[in-house]
Amino acid sequence: MRLAGFGAFAAGVTLLPVLFPDNYFVTVVGVSAGLHVILAVGLNLLIGYAGQISLGHAAFFGMGAYASAILTTRHAWPSLLAMAAGLLIAGSIAWLLARPILRLRGHYLAMATLGFGIIVHVVMVQATGWTGGPDGMAGIPPLNLLGWEVDGDRRWYGVVSAAALLTIWLSLNIVDSRVGRALRAVRGSEFAAQMMGIDAAGAKTQAFVVSALFAAFAGSLFAHQQAFVSPDSFSLMVSVDLVIMVVLGGMASTFGAAFGAIALTLLNEGLVVFEDYEMLIHGALLMIVMIFLPQGLFVGLSQVGRRLSAVFYCQTEKR
Amino acid sequence: MIENFLAVDGLEQSFGGVMALAGVGFQVPEGLIYAVIGPNGAGKTTLFNNLCGFYRPSAGSIRFNGYELCGLSTHRIAALGIARTFQNLQLFFNMTVLENVMVGGHLRARTGLLAAALRLPRVRREERRLQEWAREALELCDLTDRAAQPAGSLPYGLMKRVEIARALAARPRLLLLDEPAAGLNDTETLALRDLIARIRATGVTVLLVEHHMPLVMSVSDRLLVLDYGSVLAEGTPAEIQADPRVVAAYLGGAVQYAV
Repeated sequence: MRLAGFGAFAAGVTLLPVLFPDNYFVTVVGVSAGLHVILAVGLNLLIGYAGQISLGHAAFFGMGAYASAILTTRHAWPSLLAMAAGLLIAGSIAWLLARPILRLRGHYLAMATLGFGIIVHVVMVQATGWTGGPDGMAGIPPLNLLGWEVDGDRRWYGVVSAAALLTIWLSLNIVDSRVGRALRAVRGSEFAAQMMGIDAAGAKTQAFVVSALFAAFAGSLFAHQQAFVSPDSFSLMVSVDLVIMVVLGGMASTFGAAFGAIALTLLNEGLVVFEDYEMLIHGALLMIVMIFLPQGLFVGLSQVGRRLSAVFYCQTEKR
Repeated sequence: MIENFLAVDGLEQSFGGVMALAGVGFQVPEGLIYAVIGPNGAGKTTLFNNLCGFYRPSAGSIRFNGYELCGLSTHRIAALGIARTFQNLQLFFNMTVLENVMVGGHLRARTGLLAAALRLPRVRREERRLQEWAREALELCDLTDRAAQPAGSLPYGLMKRVEIARALAARPRLLLLDEPAAGLNDTETLALRDLIARIRATGVTVLLVEHHMPLVMSVSDRLLVLDYGSVLAEGTPAEIQADPRVVAAYLGGAVQYAV
């Protein structure tokens, strides 16, 4: 079942550029969707499985992006090494932050992560000598994978798709393991989880660090793909969008998070034609989905599908 | 057999001036079924919550198998070989029955984050072992055919048994059962009595908080009676039933219990 879903997803991702070569929605929007998949799948481990909210995840996305941007342009580091440094920085900060911050629950945790996101964003804007300030940093060299330069939309589509599939695979593995069950147990009943010998604080820390690592990974790819970073890409709205992706797709489902990420990316892209009314329609659609499919698009739609097929099956039986 | 397998001494717990436990002391020998009874509010669940580190006692000591438990966090106490079930269900409703019980085996496995993410061959082997252990516990609790169901979809009586299976999958040395018969019908209560006896037969010491007197009197080796946070009496079921203080405070008349 796990492998079947993964195979179907991989097949879809591979077939799209073959069926629609040089289609804007595949090679350009697809890359953006792929990066969102990485972010949402990581954040889903924290929100969906461990049951902890983060309203500041764009901060880790930004750390990965700025680490790659600064180290490759100013210090001429190889891009893979810069990416590794970004992962290390984001992972360490998440680890240091996790213990004090994940003690908080519900609204208080939301506030604390929100504050963290805002602080990191302010640093990006204000530390001009370091980050280039509000104007951002341009001229980031292409990603270099052991001599193979990633340039052009089609190569980027391939690399980001592979990265997204990798994170989905890692996430599926984690969820269906001792570690993932411990996360889910903490969400189900923290007291009972501890009584089974699970270090609840440790489990939450793991989820927080992994989701930060995924975000930094996406950030590094993003910086190279855009060749430009600015604080706008890591604002509070981006953090909120990431949470929406997880909730929209359906919490506690890796494919749900991936689905939510793709759906929201396509939605934002598709609504551009409405210009001034874009945000209005965007908000209304989210409200409608949450009212009618509270478990999210992926879980909700697959349940609707099952019910429809059951109805259909009953009717053919009668005949 | 260790006489003072669990040794509680002078245990006090006050909540803002109310003494929920006022100097409770008793010893549980290894391998027995030991019941704690008393009227509502006598301090039974408070005692359990102290035993598993959920509350910090105001004074006193709890020694288990030679280790001092006071001051340890819950997951460390679990690691010493103590498992429990809960008066109000604490199942993981976001998982299947099998997964719930597999969480019980958490301490018997080693898989870490990185190995799990890469799903190394040894992780797969350990997953299979965890499943085996979980299925053994389910088998003992007659839940084998429920393994794949979501935990929340079971009837109440079965959910309580999943909690027992989950605790057993940890292969504990001491099992704390907090009102396992509450909400069960007579047939289920009889099955529960057999199950508790089977658990003892596997070498697990059982500490039981329970209101169902016929069950308690028929299954326990020894009893502790709490009243207003203090020990009222301690002894075998026959001694307790003959104790005039217990009869006056709690049992309410000379009644002989048998199932």
